[in-house]
Amino acid sequence: MRAPETLGAMIPSPPPGAGDAAVIETTALSKVYPGGPGGGVTALDGLTVRFAPGITGLIGANGAGKSTLIKILLGLLVPTQGMAKVLGHDCVKDGERIRQIVGYMPEHDCLLGDVSATEFVTHMGRMSGLPATAARERAAEALRHVGLHEERYRLIGTYSTGMKQRVKLAQALVGDPRLLLLDEPTNGLDPAGRNAMLELIAKIGEEFGISIVVASHLLGEIERICDHLVAIEAGRLLRADTMDSFTKASQTLVVEVEDGLARLEDELARRGLMPRAYQRSLLVPIGGDDTYDAVRDSVADLGLPLSRLERRRHQVEELFRDAGSADADMNLEAADAG
Amino acid sequence: MPADTSTSTTDRAAGVIHDLGYRRYDGPRLGRAQITRALAWHSFRSAFGFGRGPKAKIVPAIAFIALCLPAVINAFSMSQGNPRLVGYDTYQPALRDLVMTIFVAVQAPELVSRDLRSRVLPLYFAPPIKTGDYPAAKYLAFTAACAVMIETPVLLLYLGTIVNVHGGAAVWAQTKELIPGLLVGLMWSVVLAAISLFLASLTGRRGFATGAVAIFFLATYTLAEILLQVENHAVRQQAAQAIQNSGPGPVHFVPPPPAMAEKVSGLFSPFTLFDGVRMWIGGSGTAIGDNVMNPGGFGAVYLLVLVAALAACLAGLFTRYRKARLS
Repeated sequence: MRAPETLGAMIPSPPPGAGDAAVIETTALSKVYPGGPGGGVTALDGLTVRFAPGITGLIGANGAGKSTLIKILLGLLVPTQGMAKVLGHDCVKDGERIRQIVGYMPEHDCLLGDVSATEFVTHMGRMSGLPATAARERAAEALRHVGLHEERYRLIGTYSTGMKQRVKLAQALVGDPRLLLLDEPTNGLDPAGRNAMLELIAKIGEEFGISIVVASHLLGEIERICDHLVAIEAGRLLRADTMDSFTKASQTLVVEVEDGLARLEDELARRGLMPRAYQRSLLVPIGGDDTYDAVRDSVADLGLPLSRLERRRHQVEELFRDAGSADADMNLEAADAG
Repeated sequence: MPADTSTSTTDRAAGVIHDLGYRRYDGPRLGRAQITRALAWHSFRSAFGFGRGPKAKIVPAIAFIALCLPAVINAFSMSQGNPRLVGYDTYQPALRDLVMTIFVAVQAPELVSRDLRSRVLPLYFAPPIKTGDYPAAKYLAFTAACAVMIETPVLLLYLGTIVNVHGGAAVWAQTKELIPGLLVGLMWSVVLAAISLFLASLTGRRGFATGAVAIFFLATYTLAEILLQVENHAVRQQAAQAIQNSGPGPVHFVPPPPAMAEKVSGLFSPFTLFDGVRMWIGGSGTAIGDNVMNPGGFGAVYLLVLVAALAACLAGLFTRYRKARLS
């Protein structure tokens, strides 16, 4: 049975979001919040997008319409126009069915302080339609998966912010969803907590086989766990693509040395890289793994004190700019100033 | 099993979590009605502080004990050969008014304000239930909780009484008196739960909610009582006049039937409304003078006002959650 392999080698990787059945599909989706003298606020403006299975980052600045989109997908909000489907179910008509198979972690605090995590997650399991015994078992499991096994009988009010975020994730997970909608899951966490949360999300996506949509305004943060990215701005689609095609065009290495910046720039240019001085560091476009080697060798050869070497974090504004220009040559100064 | 023990100790020391992997759930899923029932049961328990810390149980426990005391005292008194002290339908009006006010003021916010405050509502509406199911479950649960608070003492009173009376006829007579008493308690529960949940659902601040419920019941009760006092004062003056005017010998003073103003004063508080309706449908008169007079045929108006208040509060509660859906 070699046919599948042969096929796999012959057929180029499918265009993003078109390969498998879409997890989420919206068509000309619009949402206008009524009120205000200007005739209401447009949160979504004719959004047409497909989300493929796997982990998808939903990127947008605050107010871009991420939360509105999630609430429409859950059937909590009714769209003004257009259509949205989750796992093949219409969001307006089949709201009940969707809510059985979708787990939701809201952006805001949503926990009761005076109950234990076990009690809370069990109750939420019951609310997602699990019988009492199954809810108890799955609550214990969900809390174990998020790493709260030992502390699960403590009152939630005594938890740290990181633990509370984990409880929020556990309650989304308890009903065995096919899709998780996570709204800013790293909100309020310190860097270590953010990393732990992201690893957890990656684990759930990869090992548990649950499709995940992670809404965030920080691309740099979620880019390493996502298979796909959907960027929205002012309720419109900026770009939807695989993670690879996003990063290929825009990967940059930041190199900072204590002194000898000019010498390093010359050396890197000599090695065929295209360094650009920016503030007190050099920005080097990443061509591949050998870029890292070249930078390392240059610094070592010149004997310079290296103080920083990291991949630059992208901002959503850069995506906006990228979407407009095919050659993807970033306007670095403007982007970093933002 | 020494081997097992040592393993688990090492594991804990090393912080190892045994990853058993993710397990799918293939079992049955409950429908909307069953989820709503689960929510109602959960809310019912929380009305008495179950499933939460010991502090949450203090007020319900004290209120419950306070309400049961008359039944216990009655049982004791009857065992000493006295007749029954407490009526099934009136119970101890002043005690019941006060304790139930405290109970609904403290516990109604437990059911609704907490969820608003902690913004847990979107999680409730993300599960497969409809927005109306939430207030319905809460209302059913709190009505049941109020009924437990009110009816249990009445049943205790009944039990304490029938162990002290002898003969089937006597027990049957007590039972016939008990049933209207239970119905009156049900009327209390249905209305108190609606009013207090509606008021509590207006704010997520538990303190404000408790204050709003308590002030509503106390203020309306005080208003109704003041109006009644004014009327009573007039009657007392007539009586005093009658005593003055009459010469020596027995005083002939028949208190006038309650005036319209007095009947109307009873419309201002849920508690006087309960009493008015209770007497209108044939309940016993109150022994203690601080409640409303028998309204006679005007009792229909009492019932009408009560039903209107109930409907308004339920409409308010359900509308509240149609709005709170997006929060």
